[in-house]
Amino acid sequence: MPPARIKLADSVYLNVIETEKFKTNFISAEFFIPLRAETAAKAALLPSVLLRGTEKYPDMAALNKMFDYLYGSHISPRNYKLGETHVIGFSSYVLADKYALEPTPVLSQLLGVLEEVIFNPVTDGGVFSADYVETEKRNLCDRIKSQINNKNYYAVKRCRDEMCRGEAYAVSELGEVDDVMAITPESLYEFYKWLITSTRVELYFVGSTDTAALTSQLQDMFGRCANTTAPELSTQVIRSAEKSKEVIEDQPVKQGKLSLGFRTGCTLSDRDYHVFAMFRELYGGSPSSKLFMNVRERLSLCYYCSAIAEAHKGIMIVSSGIEVSNKQKAQDEILRQLELTKAGEITEAELVAARNSLINGYRELYDDANSLKSWYTSRMLAGRDDSPEDAAAALQTVTAADIAEMAKRVTLDTVYFLNGTLKPDEGSDEQ
Amino acid sequence: MNGSTIKVKENAAIGEKYYYIKHKSGLDIYVIPKKLSTYYAMFGTKYGSVHNKFRIKGEEEYTEVPDGIAHFLEHKMFENEDGVDTFARFAETGASANAYTSFLCTMYLFSCTDNFDESLEILLDYVTKPYFTEQSVQKEQGIIAQEIRMGEDNPGRALLFGMLRSMYKNHNARIDIAGTVESIAKIDHHLLYKCYNTFYNLGNMALCVSGDVTPEQVIAVADKVLKPQETHEVECVQYEEEPQVYRPRFSRRMQVAKPLFAIGVKDVELSEDPYERMKKNAAMTVLVNMLFGRASEFFNELYKEGLISQNFGAWHDHNHSMSLVCIQGDSDQPEKVYERFVEYIDKMKREGLSADDFERCHRVMYSSYIKGFDSTAEIVNNFLGNFVFEGGDMLDYADIIRSLDFDYTSAVFNTVFEDTHYTLATVLPLEESEKV
Repeated sequence: MPPARIKLADSVYLNVIETEKFKTNFISAEFFIPLRAETAAKAALLPSVLLRGTEKYPDMAALNKMFDYLYGSHISPRNYKLGETHVIGFSSYVLADKYALEPTPVLSQLLGVLEEVIFNPVTDGGVFSADYVETEKRNLCDRIKSQINNKNYYAVKRCRDEMCRGEAYAVSELGEVDDVMAITPESLYEFYKWLITSTRVELYFVGSTDTAALTSQLQDMFGRCANTTAPELSTQVIRSAEKSKEVIEDQPVKQGKLSLGFRTGCTLSDRDYHVFAMFRELYGGSPSSKLFMNVRERLSLCYYCSAIAEAHKGIMIVSSGIEVSNKQKAQDEILRQLELTKAGEITEAELVAARNSLINGYRELYDDANSLKSWYTSRMLAGRDDSPEDAAAALQTVTAADIAEMAKRVTLDTVYFLNGTLKPDEGSDEQ
Repeated sequence: MNGSTIKVKENAAIGEKYYYIKHKSGLDIYVIPKKLSTYYAMFGTKYGSVHNKFRIKGEEEYTEVPDGIAHFLEHKMFENEDGVDTFARFAETGASANAYTSFLCTMYLFSCTDNFDESLEILLDYVTKPYFTEQSVQKEQGIIAQEIRMGEDNPGRALLFGMLRSMYKNHNARIDIAGTVESIAKIDHHLLYKCYNTFYNLGNMALCVSGDVTPEQVIAVADKVLKPQETHEVECVQYEEEPQVYRPRFSRRMQVAKPLFAIGVKDVELSEDPYERMKKNAAMTVLVNMLFGRASEFFNELYKEGLISQNFGAWHDHNHSMSLVCIQGDSDQPEKVYERFVEYIDKMKREGLSADDFERCHRVMYSSYIKGFDSTAEIVNNFLGNFVFEGGDMLDYADIIRSLDFDYTSAVFNTVFEDTHYTLATVLPLEESEKV
């Protein structure tokens, strides 16, 4: 069952999934804007500035003490991109009222704090506190620079960025250092005012409560966000690559990281997306996939080799960590497995494995509130509202021939290789 | 029944219960019923990376094995005599399978939403049927070498082991769980069988499952797969550790944007009594949040001064083998953070902890325990690793949490936090000349 969708005001929606099975309630409030370089840094910065303090809870210590008092129900910032849509906001898992040690309306009080965080920030002269903005700017810049620390992540991100250079999708959801540094308390406040009065707002509640009371409380909180000017949200899709390019980057590390970026020719808005989901699972989605069974198990080239897809943008990245000298060998095998899939060399066992694995993944979503929210948010952006159970049912009729046809749409766009220049015995751990 | 016994244990206050089954094969089985969509099962052995010198009780000689062999063995359990890979077997039932090795245990697990009995049968079957050959061992060396290389490029891992190697002189937590490319080259199938036969004895193992499942259902599957086994006890060489840290500092350079730091606090006071350990663990949980949580003076002061960021965090471990607190994050001035840490602890010792802070953090610990029952994966991981294998009980922990008091917590604070127990590990950015 898709969530009950309640319109609280123009461009403001509450989505409710009622369930009795959790000891916690989940709440999130997210703002949706087009992913653009002009706004990315401000959007990334805003949630952390808002969490620095409010009129009632003027600093982090006061806010965090309140979260602790409400049974450790912390409000966490959110910042991510879905295709070329930038999503920012907050979420919290809140202990169900009935488990409170003394009778406390935990959820309703937590919503009160959320209201403070979003609508009553600490201000100074009509704009954000300069101190809070400066500290958070520095922290955000550190986060942007620290992306280099995690090589697995870095190599996938670099491949994606090289591949989508010039497209909105290449804009980082963290923004760029120069753009962050240019932000002032005034410019951030102006952005904030625009965000809360001119964009699409999606609220999610998963759990069990008096829905009428919840709706009324949220209406009071978010009614002020009503607007008819929310920008259109869309993603430019390049359905196939004309030719492929290769980017090699040297770094003083031991392992080489190979990332292959593909245009998939299929997005979540397409009616046959479930066939693509089957293709990706079978090709590189699980330990039974062609990539795992061949690049890792048969050739012993790597510890991990898998394919991840961005459903809105229509891209897929295959990533693996390998001995530098095995780069070509690994690349050849990854591409050969794709060719075999295109040629329809798909066994019944592979088909069953991919289908079962996907169905199991879909059904497990029902046990995590945030996963359910993410599922429906993603679907909504693609203009659909099918449930995980609906998606599971759609897989039943997918054949090997369908998957081979889908594989033929996939084209190689960018090869990215992080070339490790350290010898195995360099950079030892020992003192 | 059929030679197996079932006991039920309930904690009405939190609405949770479990069944304990002494299976006729000798295996301890725990079933925690939950009305959730996901079933989760974990079959584990008390065998981890630290157990590298051992004998079966009654044997004269200790056997010493290469570093990383417990983890290597975990990988090799996925291969079977009939040539069908374990993942391929799970693919037929749709279960999502995995395994991991820690310092103290090796765990085999799956989650699923359908075909639970069939999946459980596969789990029990493959973990009790080793099959190692010279060729399959060689094949795995290439794969694990890449797993090790990946770890060697990970600054967070370098920081953690830097801290542990400064803290401990003899404890095997100094050793990387996966070993080194050199140490795993010494592993062969004979050694794997030796380790398997020692540690994968049903008396040294346990099974834990959670989901919409009955104890009878689990017993029926266990009856089908598990043969009664003569259980034995394993003895491992114990290492003596002094209360003070081995070295006060560790530092190395890697490609990081900003220095990473980890302050380790060593604690060697480990009770033999599991319930005492549960109590001290609860006290340490509250303490870490009181002293270094997001609402603490330490976090807020240093954050305001720009000495630490949101990457700051503190955690602790307290089990039969090791006890420590770690305070970590990134900072342009790790030594300054360390200085402030020492000053802060001294001040807290002089002035005493705040009873209000205790009440607040006590409440947070209680709710985080309750919230842990919302996921079968979380339940099983916690239940088996932190309670069953430690001789404790996850439902009794609710009462321990409730009765924890301020005075005991203060006493733990005063004994754990001592100047000679601290070490500082850092991973610093590369010098310009080292950047490629």
